[in-house]
Formats: sequence, structure tokens, C-alpha cells
Amino acid sequence: MDPASNRCLAMARLALGAAVFLVIAAAAAPALAQNPEVRTTCNIHQGPCSAELAGRSVELEISPKPVKAMEELVFRVTISGDRLSEAPYIDLGMPAMKMGPNRVETARQGENTWTGKGVIVRCPSGKNTWFARVTLPETGTAEFVFDVVY
Amino acid sequence: MWSTESIYAVFLATGFTVGFGHCIGMCGPIVISVSLQLKDRPSFFPQLYYNIGRTITYSLLGAIMGATASFTRFASQAGGFQKAVLMFAGVLIIVMGAAMTGWVPAGRIFQNAPPLAGFARAGFKRILDARRAVLFLPLGMVLGLLPCGPVYTAMIAAARVGMEAESTLGGMLSGAGVMACFGMGTIPALLLLSQVSNVKWLKHRDLIYKFGGVMMILVGIYFTWKGWTY
Repeated sequence: MDPASNRCLAMARLALGAAVFLVIAAAAAPALAQNPEVRTTCNIHQGPCSAELAGRSVELEISPKPVKAMEELVFRVTISGDRLSEAPYIDLGMPAMKMGPNRVETARQGENTWTGKGVIVRCPSGKNTWFARVTLPETGTAEFVFDVVY
Repeated sequence: MWSTESIYAVFLATGFTVGFGHCIGMCGPIVISVSLQLKDRPSFFPQLYYNIGRTITYSLLGAIMGATASFTRFASQAGGFQKAVLMFAGVLIIVMGAAMTGWVPAGRIFQNAPPLAGFARAGFKRILDARRAVLFLPLGMVLGLLPCGPVYTAMIAAARVGMEAESTLGGMLSGAGVMACFGMGTIPALLLLSQVSNVKWLKHRDLIYKFGGVMMILVGIYFTWKGWTY
């Protein structure tokens, strides 16, 4: 293949790369824009984190403490107000980068207390800020942002 | 959360989207290093084999997760090994970078290595001189063990699938399937990056190779340091 054809091929590759990137970015944009109703930054090692969501208080506690990555953790969600009909669930992720779907399913432990087990994974970049997005079906989503121990 | 059937599609899509974001940022330096190091040789098939190797390792990890139905058991024991793989990747990138600058001929890099390092020396030389694309398969298999957040997330899913399986074999196969789908999903992004980073068509590519070599050495040092502190 002559140099001009090689150059054309390389330019075509670049164009293809840029096109694919733009398509992916456009597809991902709505998902990234799905902000929770409430976002709270807290120190999860000191005690439960809490937030107000649609007139209810939502409290998240993670144990054992300090909260470490790569270990099995118990997530406890306590909600005030009327009894929830559906179980809340918790999505774990990093604000800085996508880590894939990591959902903690919960089961009822009391009137409005729910617990589930999950693992926060370790990011080799060293960044240790994570979020736990608590979703109350038919009510909304509260996001708790905290640092974990690596 | 998801049915066992739909989890395959979920993790294929996850691999695809994570590939274009996370993987390009974290594994991109390795992919670019391999592409640049190949210089005038075709890079598509070596990169394809590298990615297939990665996916094979993910599938094996998924099989272990599915069979044991536990992620934390792996996590408590694999830290040291993964640290070594991260440092290996760093040293490999440094060696590729040094060879690419042309300042240190590839053949001389390990000339004064102690005899005990013979195995490592042979392995590195084989990668640097690789003429057959299939030789990048074992490299991909080793580097598939690099510590990586989204891979861990897929492993957690594979372990959950294992919990729900009716037998150990069923869990093993389902876990392997989840991780295979995730791995396959990541291939388009890394393969595309490898082809885009091909600079054969550039007029002053010798300069690019030298610059790229220096960048690779710096990235390699960063990887080695990350491995050391992991």
C-alpha cells in the first residue's frame, strides 16, 4: 500500500474512533445526568449518614468500621415515616469513574429497617471516594458520598 | 437484581461502556505500549490475541467466583499476587519504552541480568522480539490479572450468580459466562485504541517513537510505583 493510502487509512481509523467515541458519549450522557434528589457528603466511619428525602429521613449505616474496601460489609438503611412496601436497594460507585453495576439488595429487619450485604471494591488509582445511592422505590434516591479505607 | 440470563447482557454492555471510559484510562498505556513497540509490524492481530488472553483470564476468574460463590475469599488472598502483576506490567512498559527509544538495544537490556533472572529475561525478550501474533495471548492472560475496579465488580456479580446456581458446576459456568461477556465487551474500545495509536503513517515517526518511549518509561515507573504501594 502506498504512503497516501496508508495516511487515508489512518485518518479513516481516527475518524471511526472519534465517531464511536461520540456515539458512546451521547448514549452515556443521559445516564450520567440522572442525578439523585439528595446528595450528602459524610464520614461513614464515625456513624450513620442521614439525609432528608421527600419528607422522610433516610439513614445509612455501614459496618464493620472503619469501612474498608474488598471486605464484606453490612449496609443498614433506616427510614422514618410510613412503612415502605418495597425494599430499598443501594447502588455503589465512584463519583470520579464508572466501576460497573454493584447493587446491594436489602431485606426487611424491622418496621422500616432494611439490611443487605455488599462489597466496595478497590480502585488501583488510589482514589477512595465512593458513593452509596439509596433508592426507595416510588419515593426517590438519596446519595451518600464518603471515603473508604484501602 | 437481574435474572441470570439478563446479567450476561448487562455485563456485556458494562464491559462496552466501561471499556470506552475506565479501560482506556487505566489499561490504555499498556495497549499503546504494545502498539508502539510493534513499530512497523501489523498490530491488529497481536492486540486481538492480547485481548482474547485477557478475556480468558477473566473467564477463569469468573469460574472460580461462580464455583466458590465468594468474592471476599479471593480478595483476601490475591492482593500480593496482583501487586506483583501490577509491578510486572510497570517493568514491562519500562523495558518496551527503553527498547523503543533505540537508546538501549532490545537485545542488551537483559545482557547483564543475573542468571536467576533467565526466565524473566527470556520472557521479556520473547515479547520484545515477538513475530507471531499468538505470542501476545499469554501476555494478555497475565495482564488480565491486573487489579481493576470494574473487573472486581464483574467478579462480585459472578460470585452472586454462583450463589444462585443449583450446582457448583452450574455456578462455575455461569460465573465464567458473566466474566467472559464483560471481557468481550471491553475488547472494542481497547482494540480501537490500539489501531488509533498506530503511528506508522507519520512522516517523523522516529521522533514519535522516541517521545513515546520516554512517555512509556514514565508510565512504567508510575505502574511500578502503584504496584509497590498497592
